[in-house]
Amino acid sequence: MSKSTNNLYLRFPVVRRIEHLIMLLSFTTLGLTGLPQKYTESSIGAFVLGLLGGIENLRFIHHTAAIVMMFGTAYHILVMGYSVFVLRDQMSMLPSIQDAKDGLQALLYNLGLAKTYPQMGRYTFEEKMEYWAFLWGAAVMGATGFLMWNPITATQYLPGQFVPAAKAAHGGEAVLAVLAIIVWHMYGVHIKRFNKAMWTGTQTEAEMLHEHPLELADMKAGLADKRPDAATLRKRKMIYYPVAAIVTLGMLAGIFGFINGEKTALTTIAPLTETQIYSPQTPQP
Amino acid sequence: MRRPKLTHTFTFLAGIALVALVMAGSKSEAAHAAPNANPVNAPAAQMDNSDCLVCHSSPMFVTYMPSSEKLSLTIDEDKFNKSVHGENKLACTDCHTDFTSFPHEDLKANSLREFSTTYYMTCKQCHAEQYNKVLDSVHQRALAGGNTNAAVCSDCHNPHEQTRITDKATGEILNTARMHIPETCARCHSTIYEAYKTSVHGNALTQEGNTDVPTCIDCHGVHNIQNPTTVTFRNSTPFLCAKCHTDATIMDKYGISTNVLNSYVADFHGTTVKLFEEEFPGQPTNKPVCTDCHGVHNISKVDNAETGIALRENLLIKCQRCHPDATSNFPEAWMSHYEPSPEHFPIVYYVNLFYKFFIPAVLGGMIFFVLTDIYRRIVNRIKGKGVKHS
Repeated sequence: MSKSTNNLYLRFPVVRRIEHLIMLLSFTTLGLTGLPQKYTESSIGAFVLGLLGGIENLRFIHHTAAIVMMFGTAYHILVMGYSVFVLRDQMSMLPSIQDAKDGLQALLYNLGLAKTYPQMGRYTFEEKMEYWAFLWGAAVMGATGFLMWNPITATQYLPGQFVPAAKAAHGGEAVLAVLAIIVWHMYGVHIKRFNKAMWTGTQTEAEMLHEHPLELADMKAGLADKRPDAATLRKRKMIYYPVAAIVTLGMLAGIFGFINGEKTALTTIAPLTETQIYSPQTPQP
Repeated sequence: MRRPKLTHTFTFLAGIALVALVMAGSKSEAAHAAPNANPVNAPAAQMDNSDCLVCHSSPMFVTYMPSSEKLSLTIDEDKFNKSVHGENKLACTDCHTDFTSFPHEDLKANSLREFSTTYYMTCKQCHAEQYNKVLDSVHQRALAGGNTNAAVCSDCHNPHEQTRITDKATGEILNTARMHIPETCARCHSTIYEAYKTSVHGNALTQEGNTDVPTCIDCHGVHNIQNPTTVTFRNSTPFLCAKCHTDATIMDKYGISTNVLNSYVADFHGTTVKLFEEEFPGQPTNKPVCTDCHGVHNISKVDNAETGIALRENLLIKCQRCHPDATSNFPEAWMSHYEPSPEHFPIVYYVNLFYKFFIPAVLGGMIFFVLTDIYRRIVNRIKGKGVKHS
């Protein structure tokens, strides 16, 4: 191995690593507190329920983790906005036909039907799949979560059965998401090779050559994202920051509405009727 | 000092007699709650019932309590003979142990109620099991707390007229007796009885003589009746109703689903209540139980034209008890005990169907790819070559 293969390339700056950490913590908490609500009858479900102090506590933790994920999503949108508008980075996460071709080629290679493994850029088809699956999942979970969190508001505009449908979808999507993370993420990032880039932020040249050869080639050819010059940067920031501030306020208002939009139910339940218990028949038989 | 030998022998015989008596007593207890006729130690000079009836069969035989209340002393001989006590040839003095001779001693009670609430102890002689159950009851607690209105044995069972309640062989309550249970409770709980009579259960019992329906004791128990307003009782309500409502032998006759408990527990409300019932039965939850939507004593058929909660407007009123801002679409958020199907709650049905195929499809694809990847790695390692890029 030549010396140059030990060069480190920045893969994830700190802002992106923070995003990952927020999502990692909130996703795990949501899964651990959500699935026992779906499978209350199972012994593991009952165990977690008991461990975390019962169903109402579990729901509270679940809701709290959901709020964290909402903030994580808002943060991601702001970071993406900065990356796309201010830095004008290549939108390397967008899916393309090439990804499908890469995926197919990888599969054929694994089966021994193709001679070579596909060469990929900044994000491999596996990573893109996971990102967009997560995005799909977050959208479904957010929307269905809103319906369950705010059923009164929701049913002012939607048929009532959207609420149990949301619950069904929330549960189904949860199972899918957790299992997909266990199969796809675990294998792709931890088992195939223990990939620490999301923690250290960097990859070695050997790793880059192995996993992102096209990106490495671009970097070496000077085609990688370049920071705009100071003046352009300042000009774009002047536009982006006010817009981002408004968007941020909008998102915060959205999150606030999501959380506090309605008092769904009374916390106490009134006795059905104040029945006169002792009411002897007259005359007493 | 040594005792004479005769005393020893006597003590021994008395002991055997006592053991025999206890065994006989416990045997009859085990076989059935109803006691044998006249197991009480008869007084030496026992008066025959006919002796008592010389005076007590005369109509309008009354005395006055110190409280100046009138106490009727007339016994209807015919009714007594038809009663379970009469059938079993109980002597008056078996219960009236303090009136074994004539002239009688004065009554120790000052009022009618005091007489009842002190004299019922005599029932314990034969009905110890029921008596002990009553000690745990809400009635006994009220009585102990000074509420003399609380029912004692004789308030429900007129000892001179009470006919047989349970089947002698099986111990089951006779249907003829079941018919009269609500009337008995109504003596003190008439408001509740009026509501019950109008309910689907009460109407069937009182108008149609249908004994499939619950009477008071089927929900509240008998003798050891518990306070039905506690959190524990509320949390256990779904399982109480489910005793009959998941029993196909009863429900099939009326075309009522036996899936009501499952469908309730599958819903958000029922899941919560079930978990509370299992883990914290004494802690209150604001999630509804059966009675919150269906009513308690006034339960009506769900398709009742006026109050039936199959009508969305009627159900909305129930929803609004806990969800005051709920609007007309809201009741549909509860699937009304239906299993989602293409006819009922199709969106829910198709969402479930979608995930039934979507989850295995996605995961199957992922697992397949991962397996091929593992396979390729193993093959490459064996062949000693790295991944080849194009």
